[in-house]
Amino acid sequence: MAPDRDPLPPILSLSDEDLMGRVAEDDDRAFTELVRRFQGRVGNLISRVLNDRENTDDLAQEVFVRVFVHRRNYRRGSKFSTWVFTIAANLAKNEIRRRVRRRNWFSLDALTEVFSDSLPQLADSTESREAGLEREQLQGAVARAIATVPEKYRLALVLRDIEGLAYEEIAEVLGLPGGTVRSRINRARGMLQRKLQPLLRKQDAHESM
Amino acid sequence: MNRCDQARRLFDAYWDDEVTQAEREWLEGHFTGCEGCRQAYEQYTRTLEAVGSLPRIDVARDLPERALLAARRAQVAPDRVAAEPATPRWVPMTAAAALVVVVAVLLLPTITPWVLGTRGSLQAVRSGAEPPVSQPRLLATAAPAPAGVQPPATLADSLFDHSADVEFILDPVVLHRGRAQAVGNLPNGVQAEQTVISF
Repeated sequence: MAPDRDPLPPILSLSDEDLMGRVAEDDDRAFTELVRRFQGRVGNLISRVLNDRENTDDLAQEVFVRVFVHRRNYRRGSKFSTWVFTIAANLAKNEIRRRVRRRNWFSLDALTEVFSDSLPQLADSTESREAGLEREQLQGAVARAIATVPEKYRLALVLRDIEGLAYEEIAEVLGLPGGTVRSRINRARGMLQRKLQPLLRKQDAHESM
Repeated sequence: MNRCDQARRLFDAYWDDEVTQAEREWLEGHFTGCEGCRQAYEQYTRTLEAVGSLPRIDVARDLPERALLAARRAQVAPDRVAAEPATPRWVPMTAAAALVVVVAVLLLPTITPWVLGTRGSLQAVRSGAEPPVSQPRLLATAAPAPAGVQPPATLADSLFDHSADVEFILDPVVLHRGRAQAVGNLPNGVQAEQTVISF
């Protein structure tokens, strides 16, 4: 007697779009598999845009809740990653605005202050012999520098230079023309370079000693 | 635009590998001859490498299960904002106000005499009879006067008989009807005549 076989293909072999199609039909397993596939990228995007590790889990969870709640609005045939990044980008934008409004611990001024405070610390740390600590300091400074870039440039920068999305996909996620996306990324990179240049020069000087 | 500006404009596209072969060759040729642009591009790449080398953030391992639970809760939880009723709120309010007005209009004739204490009027209202009102009497009919009959020498200045009217002229000398009473309660030092007329 032939063993019973699942008529449906194994969930792991399904594409993101097929999984989303199943989520629209209330398939819980398909939903958890999609979350598993995208939780890292979504969490990373939110964390880097907000420079907030502490609330990343909750915000990433909120993104997937929205995916589920709006599952029947997903357009079959469109790329799932674009859709989920659109939801995540909108949530990140709203979160930035909410925090700025509430003048919480997060504000551009506060971040600028934190960043400027970090430079001397970082300069001191370059004198340290601990390469790991140095790297962590640099990464912290880069993350804070990203957070000081104005929101509209920052989102495009993170999507491109951290998440590695194509320009066309970023344009779709942000709902902007391709030219605007390129211009924003160009400006964000310029701002970031100006902020990080002194730091990187110091590091270079230290390494050459 | 000089050659260095032109070169720096290509940094983004060069980094993103979106330059044409001709642009690539031109830029790389420029780098060999321009130390400033070459160093600027190195700084540019250092910055973007630093951004790209940021470690990925790990999220909670149980996020899929947590997200599913939260999503299910979000499905069954009622809206925190009260749903708009099918009919706008002003419709029942307006209907109630209109009903009150209609009832008030219908009950007004019934209630008014009681309020005013005139039961006779109530009877009149109920019977449909109107209180007697003296109507002016016509002096002349609309019928034309027969031929040869002269009209009266003095014609009334109106078609109505004003004989029952009280006639008075606000003149202290000529006062045909009514009562006139001179009063003299003017303040001292004021010279004038004051008359109270009542009719």
